[in-house]
Amino acid sequence: MEQNKEMTAVESLQLITETFNNSRRGILRNSAKYFILWGTVLTLTSLAIYLLWHFTGKPEWNYLWFVMPTIGYGVAAFLGRYDVAVPKNEISRMVGGMWSVFGAFSITLSAIAVFLVPMHVTLIIAIIMGLAECMSGVLLKNWAIIICGFIFGIGGAVFAIMMKSEAQLLIFTLGGVLLLVTGLIIKLQYK
Amino acid sequence: MFPKLDPLLHSELRLAVMSVLAGVEEADFTYLKKQTGATSGNLSVQIDKLTAAGYITVEKGFKGKMPRTACRITPAGAEAFRNYVDALKTYLSAGE
Repeated sequence: MEQNKEMTAVESLQLITETFNNSRRGILRNSAKYFILWGTVLTLTSLAIYLLWHFTGKPEWNYLWFVMPTIGYGVAAFLGRYDVAVPKNEISRMVGGMWSVFGAFSITLSAIAVFLVPMHVTLIIAIIMGLAECMSGVLLKNWAIIICGFIFGIGGAVFAIMMKSEAQLLIFTLGGVLLLVTGLIIKLQYK
Repeated sequence: MFPKLDPLLHSELRLAVMSVLAGVEEADFTYLKKQTGATSGNLSVQIDKLTAAGYITVEKGFKGKMPRTACRITPAGAEAFRNYVDALKTYLSAGE
């Protein structure tokens, strides 16, 4: 790219549009890696806890949920150190902020349910995760993500009521796969 | 009478830098280099010109142990960019 090249009005507008769109696509494509990361961590954690609970009969394995954010944020920070820092735009900031709020709600509610006031935390998290997924789809203007979030939120709520003990954890395995699929959809949408 | 195009923005690399910065909160030097395909030296010179005009601000710091240069568009820069785009549209509509 040259700084002194004479440009026509059309060339200038083309340059602005192309640069702006390339940057926007890159930023949104970059957000896919966080969906894939958290989807993988959630799938593996929920499966591990399910299997440990199933084979030992001890629900205490659920304390491992509190390790999951440490692993997720640790890996995200590690990956961030070696990447070219991709900036945030309005959409990526809102999507990231919304999932951070979801994470804060989930961790706090789980801690309250375990240590203070027992509640049906699986049901609540399934609903708010479905909502967060739906809202991500709205912000990214992607119907597939909206529909996935809707099905997960409603289906997860019904599943959480119907299933007992460790079988409920499979909702989060499905949720993890859903995040992975969302990440892949975003990658395809903004390739 | 056509509006005058801002000579500072009517340059391929500076316009590309402003186009990236117009859509983000802030961007690293390395990101701008990747997006524009410019050399470090050339990009530095153009960033200095945009900074001197008050169109962008540059903040130097560290990310971990690595030096980091973050660029951000200023309100004056955003307005100049809008005016430039409006002026381009005038040229194009006159040509139709």
